[in-house]
Amino acid sequence: MSRRRSRCAGSWTRHPTTKVLDRHIEDLLREVAPQVLGALVRRYGQFDACEDAVQDALLSAARQWPEQGVPDNPRSWLMTVASRRLVDRWRSDSARRRREESFATLELAGQGQPSDQDDTLSLLFLCCHPALSAPSQLALTLRAVGGLTTAQIARAFLVPEATMAQRISRAKERIKGTGVPFGMPPAAERGERLRVVLQVLYLIFNEGYTTSSGPEGLRADLTTEAIRLARMLLQLVPNEGEVAGLLALMLLTDARRAARTLDDGSLVPLAEQRRGLWNRGQIEEGVALLTRTLGKRVVGPYQLQAAIAAIHDEAATAAETDWLQILALYDVLEQVSPGPVVTLNRAVAVAMVNGPRAGLAVLGTLDEDERMEHNHRLEAVRGHLLELAGDAVAARDAYRRAARMTASIPEQRYLALRAARLA
Amino acid sequence: MKYMIMTFGSAAGAVEAMGKEWMRDMIAFMHKLDDDLRKSGELVSEEGLADGSTAKTVRFVNGQPVPTDGPFAEAKEALVGYWIVDVESEARAIEIASRITAYVKAPIEVRRVMDAPPDY
Repeated sequence: MSRRRSRCAGSWTRHPTTKVLDRHIEDLLREVAPQVLGALVRRYGQFDACEDAVQDALLSAARQWPEQGVPDNPRSWLMTVASRRLVDRWRSDSARRRREESFATLELAGQGQPSDQDDTLSLLFLCCHPALSAPSQLALTLRAVGGLTTAQIARAFLVPEATMAQRISRAKERIKGTGVPFGMPPAAERGERLRVVLQVLYLIFNEGYTTSSGPEGLRADLTTEAIRLARMLLQLVPNEGEVAGLLALMLLTDARRAARTLDDGSLVPLAEQRRGLWNRGQIEEGVALLTRTLGKRVVGPYQLQAAIAAIHDEAATAAETDWLQILALYDVLEQVSPGPVVTLNRAVAVAMVNGPRAGLAVLGTLDEDERMEHNHRLEAVRGHLLELAGDAVAARDAYRRAARMTASIPEQRYLALRAARLA
Repeated sequence: MKYMIMTFGSAAGAVEAMGKEWMRDMIAFMHKLDDDLRKSGELVSEEGLADGSTAKTVRFVNGQPVPTDGPFAEAKEALVGYWIVDVESEARAIEIASRITAYVKAPIEVRRVMDAPPDY
């Protein structure tokens, strides 16, 4: 667990204004950050003030620990420093009314003694609150749960730090506005709220998985961070099959990272990737997770997608891919979570099993689907299947249409090259 | 996702055409817009450009690059400013553009910035 995290920690600090932190210290800080924040919010209420206080405490630790050594109890050190910051803030707060409010929340504290685990989970639910926009959910989760600084998050998303700071403070205001109490969502809402949390983690992962722009190291670190958070979430809710499924999906997808692009940034399709570059350790871990989960928990889209990724990852060569099994999984996926993207992917599996014309027929069912109107992947897959069917002219046109529709530079180049090859 | 929101026109003609008051209100409107986008955590950058009539175009003539004046015969069509915003959806980018259009009553172009992650 710590191996992967430390790889991430090393690069997050790779910027000129912060000196490179001892890996061990950064790992430790980011592991206890949500526990400290969760405990503070539970005790004092006021998520936004607590969040600022914890960030201050983390910065103090990052400055002091490398020189003075790590305290015996890092968690209580951070709790003490953050609490002091909170009190300072309240003291300097001249509005009497607000002080009284703080006092009132103080009095509410101490009812029951939830564990660190509960606090961290409550924090995740809070940051992924449905009242927030997706960009706000991502930013807040990375800061409050991931323990990243605003500057790090801003760099990863390629926006100015001031913009990210505003986004985070707005999200915190919004949370204050909703008036939701800190704690677990009611049982009836829990499934849906967990679904949002998983979606946020998956979005963070995908944001990092792109190599299309920005400093590559930072983007890749988002992927690593998403995996770290999914791992943490699985520890908190070990019996949720979809959490295990999402973690497995991330591991099995990220395992191909090194083979997915060439040095010049151009994309390599799955069938042409050098499989020796795939990360075997990650594949084994993902497969083991799936084996433990599939059939024992309620099946869901993440588990099924992970199972499909696993079949790809386990094939020694592209030609040895078990497409029959992949097709069977897509059939189930289409039942469990139907949608145009699933149909699109299923069309490829149909083509590999029953021939390109059969795949093209499945694609045809999407032509009238409004949701796919501006989706370049429909045309890209059509181009691929037409090429397999031997229709070079139609394939070229489809690739060209796809190239015009995509918003990703590497994909645009890939598709343009594909079209040029057939010209 | 990021979008570029572009506005076109001619700075030189604007004062004569619309009057001083209008220009003053316009500047206030733009300040307010920038401020709102900054506060919402959506503004990546914004710039105003010098009038299109001051532009130079470097053309490839007789095998070499040659700078020429222009390019805009119709100054009305020149790019005069842009915002880059990082928003949740295209609908939100269009909402921002609509607010500008409603004020300047001229077309505003909205274009996706190429940086989206691939869908697989």
